[in-house]
Amino acid sequence: MADPVDSGDELLESLRKVDPKKVEEKAKELAEREAVHSAKAQQRLAELIGTNSTLPVTISSIRLIGASHTRRSFLDRLFNPLLSANQDRPFTLQEALNEVGSVATKLQRFDIYHPGIHTFIDRPSPTDPNSTVTDIDIFLQARERGRISLKTGTDLGNVEGSAYGNLTWRNIFGGAESLTLNASAGTRTRSAYQATFDAPILSDPDTRATIDVLASSTLKPWASHEEVLKGAGAKFSWATKSGTRHQVGYSGIWRQITGLDKNASPTIRHDAGDTVKSSITHTWLADRRDHPFIPSRGYLIKTISEIAGWGPLQGDVAFWKSEVETSGAVPIPIPGIEGDSGVSFSAGLRAGMLYPLAVGFGSETKHSRINDRFQLGGPTDVRGFKISGLGPRDGPDAVGGDVYAAGSANLLIPFPRVGKDTPLRLQLFANAGRLLALKDKKTTSESVYSTIAQLGDGIPSMAAGMGVVYAHPVARFELNFSLPLVLRRGEEGRKGLQFGVGINFL
Amino acid sequence: MPPKQPVEKKAADEQSSFSRSTRNVRDFFSIPTPVKHLFGLVPVVTYPPNQLPLRAPKPARIPSLYVFTKDQDAMAGRPSFNPSCLKWQTFLNIAGVDHRLISSNNHSSPTGSLPFLLPAVYGSNTSQDSLTPIASNKFIKYATEHGGKVEESSSMRYEAYQSLLDHRIRNAWLYTLYLEPLNFSAVAYPLYVSLTSSNPLVRASISHQLRAAAEAELLKHTSIIDTDDLYSEADKAFEALSILLGEDSWFFGNDKPALFDASVFAYTQLLLDDELGWKEKKLCRALRSRANLVQHRERLLVRYFGDHE
Repeated sequence: MADPVDSGDELLESLRKVDPKKVEEKAKELAEREAVHSAKAQQRLAELIGTNSTLPVTISSIRLIGASHTRRSFLDRLFNPLLSANQDRPFTLQEALNEVGSVATKLQRFDIYHPGIHTFIDRPSPTDPNSTVTDIDIFLQARERGRISLKTGTDLGNVEGSAYGNLTWRNIFGGAESLTLNASAGTRTRSAYQATFDAPILSDPDTRATIDVLASSTLKPWASHEEVLKGAGAKFSWATKSGTRHQVGYSGIWRQITGLDKNASPTIRHDAGDTVKSSITHTWLADRRDHPFIPSRGYLIKTISEIAGWGPLQGDVAFWKSEVETSGAVPIPIPGIEGDSGVSFSAGLRAGMLYPLAVGFGSETKHSRINDRFQLGGPTDVRGFKISGLGPRDGPDAVGGDVYAAGSANLLIPFPRVGKDTPLRLQLFANAGRLLALKDKKTTSESVYSTIAQLGDGIPSMAAGMGVVYAHPVARFELNFSLPLVLRRGEEGRKGLQFGVGINFL
Repeated sequence: MPPKQPVEKKAADEQSSFSRSTRNVRDFFSIPTPVKHLFGLVPVVTYPPNQLPLRAPKPARIPSLYVFTKDQDAMAGRPSFNPSCLKWQTFLNIAGVDHRLISSNNHSSPTGSLPFLLPAVYGSNTSQDSLTPIASNKFIKYATEHGGKVEESSSMRYEAYQSLLDHRIRNAWLYTLYLEPLNFSAVAYPLYVSLTSSNPLVRASISHQLRAAAEAELLKHTSIIDTDDLYSEADKAFEALSILLGEDSWFFGNDKPALFDASVFAYTQLLLDDELGWKEKKLCRALRSRANLVQHRERLLVRYFGDHE
């Protein structure tokens, strides 16, 4: 390349001077070549598998390399079903690879290995008298994550700033069990401590048992008090074949309504003090949306049912509480735009009911308290209202209600020029809701039914507006301009700009 | 001082330029007129307010006195089982300030302890002012302002006898109620613990807190808790009160009961109330041997807690 007439000095000079452009080019070239190479390799592999996909194979062994802290019995449950000794017929090569792939994904989901579990296939030595011609050996290579990790940081939420510390002890007994200790202090959640022990059941990452203990103190400025909680619970969660998730849990919590503001309302003063809630909760979730924050198609259904205080549960409060949450999205084709326009329409509906019961085996039903009633309104549910801005109010306090329904309709439009692949959207919305306290009737069922019927009285409290949505990987951010259109006297609408951060929007 | 003038002028200049710039900033943030006009149009429809939950106390035309009591006793206007609540409840009864009782606990109080008074609500709109609770140290003022008959008695003698109640008798009371195990389980537990929660763990925790608080209170004044000393001091205090009352109907020779009578009644009523079920009765016996104090309690009970007994 270099002119032979050039003096050696110049050559040296050119060697010493590294042209960044050239380096970049070289790197690029290298990367391209590598990409081509790996693509070729992949293609070759695909061809190889393609031509041999029906090749019968038997898996004689699976070995996980680099998992010194993982229990053998834990891995056996994952790998044994694959071994040919436990199969009544040989796999085809394609099937075998699929199965191994799904086991690798499962392993990944236990969160005890670094991302990227590599799979290798080998043929046992033909000289081994135990091996048959169809035998293959599988090697999985994983890197275990550190068993103890400590994380500290700060969070900024809707109207809350907080600092937290988090200590995780992973893979305690070699079966992906974990213990998490969490402590945080903030402007609204004044302090929160939580210890959670979590373990997968039968080596299934979707079936988990969790035990947790918590102590926290949270300011509730919309109802002029501070709630102090101390409690413990146990949960069991699993997934069905169709991909929906269930969770059943028991929790016992000692709640204290304390630290009342000077001008707290009589309703809040009346509820101040100690109560114990002993309850069983069931949650069911079917999430078939294509994106958790800016979905363009699919639907979500979630139900939460809770029974507290009744029969053997005891405690100081007793009720049955049911909540349903649904949302759906459909893409809207725009004439003139090929394929997905990125414009989508989504709608959500939520409803809930609290049915008072008698504690234990008694017969005297207890009226609901502030910490059991629902709250509605705010930038993440009914936009255009202040936090807990809907429902019954006593003086300065949102005292909550026993029955609610809320719905929303949103139109998401990609930013012009920026396109639909960015996480930014323009949004037009209209949402409405009603939150009601039970009426005083002779029987509990009568008062619940008449209150539900009352949901339809008049136009629901309503707001509409437009704004910008940004779907960050961990949360959805919204900045909206909203106008409350229909209100009940005392309900607090929000005219103008409203900022919302959250995971779960109406 | 002429030299100072330019400086002042400059400061004034600066101030005006500062206020100008803040005005600019404010203008920038102020709502533009069309938007203001839009805000004026909403909400389009306003319905009447939502109904309050069933547990919310019904609005009343008389003030509410938050005290330690049972729900059914509150409704009947019976004496509170807590001495400082009972003192002020009796005081309001004596002063003729009509009120209703609400069974409550320390968490509801702005000062962290009961009693307190919530003024009556007139009309449907509750102003911020009417929601501010009145602590017990403002009761005398409140009673005077609201047409109560209040007899002021502020002699040196009064102070001295009041301190007998506030220290000697109160200390013996704290000891006999919280730290005598028999009395704690028979009297304090059902009133202060069982009423709070039905959960055994919470009850154990609250029991512990109550006893620890009583012990800490007693140890404020002495380094060790001497039971005999506490009881003999209380006995002497009762003796002194008995002598003070003498043959009179009310303390200090008044022709009508006053706050001091209420303060004495707060302890004598509870120590002489057989329904509380005292087990260790040393303090009760010390009081019972002073016949005029027992009669004083009877007089107040009949006069101000009507049909009871």
